[in-house]
Amino acid sequence: MIFNSYTFVVFFIIVMILHNLPFSWKTKKINLLIASYIFYAAWNPVFILLLWLSTIIDFYVGKALYVQDDKRKKKILLVVSLIGNLCMLIFFKYGTFLLDNFVTLVNAIGLDFHPAKPNIILPAGISFYTFTTLCYTIDMYKKESAPVKSLLDFSLFVTFFPHLVAGPIVRPPQLVPQFENERKASQDQIIQGLFLLSLGLFMKVVLADSMLSVAANTVFNSNQPLASLDAWMGVLAFSGQIFFDFAGYSTCAIGVAACLGFALPQNFLYPYAAIGFSDFWRRWHITLSAWLRDYLYIPLGGNRNGKWKTYRNLMITMLLGGLWHGANWTFVAWGGLHGFYLWVEKAILDARKETSKPSFIPKFILAMATFFLVNVTWVFFRAGTFTQAGSILQSMFGMMPNGNAILTTLTIWKVGLIVVGMVLAQWLMRNKLVLQVIPKLSWWAFGSIWAVMLLLLIWSQESGSSFIYFQF
Amino acid sequence: MDSNSLKKALLLMLLIVTVALVSWEIRLRKIGVRPTFDTGKVLWSDKRAMVYEPQDKATVFIGSSRIHFDLDIPTWQTITGNKVVQLGIDGSSPMPVLNNLADDPDFKGNLIVDITEGLFFSTSPFNMEEPNNGINYYKDRTYAQRASFVINKALESRLVFLDKENFSMNAYLAELRLKNRPKVFEMPIWPWQFSGISFENQAIMYPVFVNDTNLQIKVRNIWAMFAKMEEKDIPMHGKQLDSFVNVVKVSVDKIKARGGNVFFTRTPSSGPYLMGELKGFPRDKYYERILASTGCQGMHFQDYAITKNMQCPEWSHLDQAQAIIFTKELIRVLREEKGWKL
Repeated sequence: MIFNSYTFVVFFIIVMILHNLPFSWKTKKINLLIASYIFYAAWNPVFILLLWLSTIIDFYVGKALYVQDDKRKKKILLVVSLIGNLCMLIFFKYGTFLLDNFVTLVNAIGLDFHPAKPNIILPAGISFYTFTTLCYTIDMYKKESAPVKSLLDFSLFVTFFPHLVAGPIVRPPQLVPQFENERKASQDQIIQGLFLLSLGLFMKVVLADSMLSVAANTVFNSNQPLASLDAWMGVLAFSGQIFFDFAGYSTCAIGVAACLGFALPQNFLYPYAAIGFSDFWRRWHITLSAWLRDYLYIPLGGNRNGKWKTYRNLMITMLLGGLWHGANWTFVAWGGLHGFYLWVEKAILDARKETSKPSFIPKFILAMATFFLVNVTWVFFRAGTFTQAGSILQSMFGMMPNGNAILTTLTIWKVGLIVVGMVLAQWLMRNKLVLQVIPKLSWWAFGSIWAVMLLLLIWSQESGSSFIYFQF
Repeated sequence: MDSNSLKKALLLMLLIVTVALVSWEIRLRKIGVRPTFDTGKVLWSDKRAMVYEPQDKATVFIGSSRIHFDLDIPTWQTITGNKVVQLGIDGSSPMPVLNNLADDPDFKGNLIVDITEGLFFSTSPFNMEEPNNGINYYKDRTYAQRASFVINKALESRLVFLDKENFSMNAYLAELRLKNRPKVFEMPIWPWQFSGISFENQAIMYPVFVNDTNLQIKVRNIWAMFAKMEEKDIPMHGKQLDSFVNVVKVSVDKIKARGGNVFFTRTPSSGPYLMGELKGFPRDKYYERILASTGCQGMHFQDYAITKNMQCPEWSHLDQAQAIIFTKELIRVLREEKGWKL
């Protein structure tokens, strides 16, 4: 089920009613769990089994890990959990990719091997809930938090519908304690939650789907040399589309959870106002960046073993982060490019530390330079192949002298206005949260802005298209 | 912001949204807009799921926009007691749908394929896009999407402003008609009065369109623009045509082998549009060849006194009054001349 659908509206009303009836807290949690399974099953009921399997393995393995003192047995338990989770992820997400690469490799060495193409369906949200359960097991192994006492709470932690399919990726200490005592949203929380839900839907439906998707799809689906303006507009449109799509989802998730009385972590903090790439990754998909930092970069050694190993660890983290997004080498290249940017940034910062020279470039210019370079990476993220990515990059940088103009003037205006507005708004808001700004508005201004957003949402008539990050 | 202000903001938001939507709905109804359904993959998939009815219960229609307009579904259903499953898709080739039905082992029903030559005898990916979208959506649609469709039906059948093609934000913005750079193609805008879509998936010309020559000229100009764009495209011929006809035959044979019936129609067009079609796709080399090759029967509108002089208001589609006449004649031909038990 997706937030931008009529089904969700009905589903959410029923969940809200049930959650506010005078049931016991345990009954309310069972209601939320059943609702979360329905939310997931409405997409494809069979894959509920994977969710159950992942939940049950990690709940019991987690408990055993926490109480186990024998180091060898502990490691075996950890490996069982890692294999259980990662095998599912690898099979469903990377099965076809691995087979294709294997076939390419054996054909390259002269073996004639052409297996039938497997038809593997990617279960929605598998990358998200696998990471959610993995961090629990690893925390139990390291005894970083106490095991969840009941299977009900653990199942709800893994399956809680607002974050289940596309994050934010939650850690046990962020959510599990919230299930321990009864939570009911106050009227203020519900109003703020509904506003965030409206804002998220506005970002997804009006800005991403209605205004920007056409330009991005037209450019990335055209297999022809493009005029520079068109290539740039397509890439900028995608840049806006993916932000509004994914940040919109996270905003909806946070809003929905708030209406039920729960708090989910912030997942986006105006990433296009980032000054540099470490700043970008502190603002873009924050819960994934934090996960990769804590469960991959730091265990690899982080920055503890000298300069070169820090560079190596950064690159490994970014390459695997890229691969997490999709089973294609273009995603790896996207991650690699970000890793390279982080290298360069680190080198500049290290050099500056040595000379103690402050930067003379205005911060806004640095933010724009970051935004420019991020856009270059989006080409690899969105293009299906390196050939296409190369062609679009050549078009962007004027290396296609007879490139075709394909975007209408109206589309160019839409992209231009929305992307400029997006960047300026993010710059102005870069150190504030939406809910911190609302109290500064008068009630009529807030109500009017909310109404305009909802009217545009209804007027766009774009319900029903899936979120981009569902495919990851 | 204190609780009181938050509540006041919520109430103001609800007031503005309600007043704006009610005003908009009233205004659209005042200018004659009627509830219509968005023709697209969602409605199409709902119909695609109905093809499994037995032959005495339903007939499936595929084709392009003409069958969408020219088959009057209530007339067919009242006279025959046989349900219409309308799978025609505007501006598209019916070939992906024909192949999809042929490859579906559970489809054994009556199938009527309408031929609009420029679209039927085409392999342009653009003409396959919508049918393929529909087929893929039908295969992949989730329970949540099906439930949304049911809710959407209840809303779209009551609220006229829910018409993405004509009254959405993008539809209004498109009317700005900003000047484009040379060679950039922009879809023309059909006047909203041209047609509405019923839940059974029938396109119906609004009476105001039938009575307004200016609106008709507007649509004729759109057809003329498309015709000009296609001027340089040579219709398929020679080996390409042989192979295309063979693909049609293979699909038709698969359906017939399972006990299904396949029938072809050529629905009316008129004026310069018809002249252009006959010139580009001579009947004996295209339409008749399909009948001969597949061994199927057909009904060409030019063969029947009642239909041969039908005048399409914008040269390509029938208004509802003529669609009723055409449908009655089609039923008569099928029953009396072709031996169909309807």
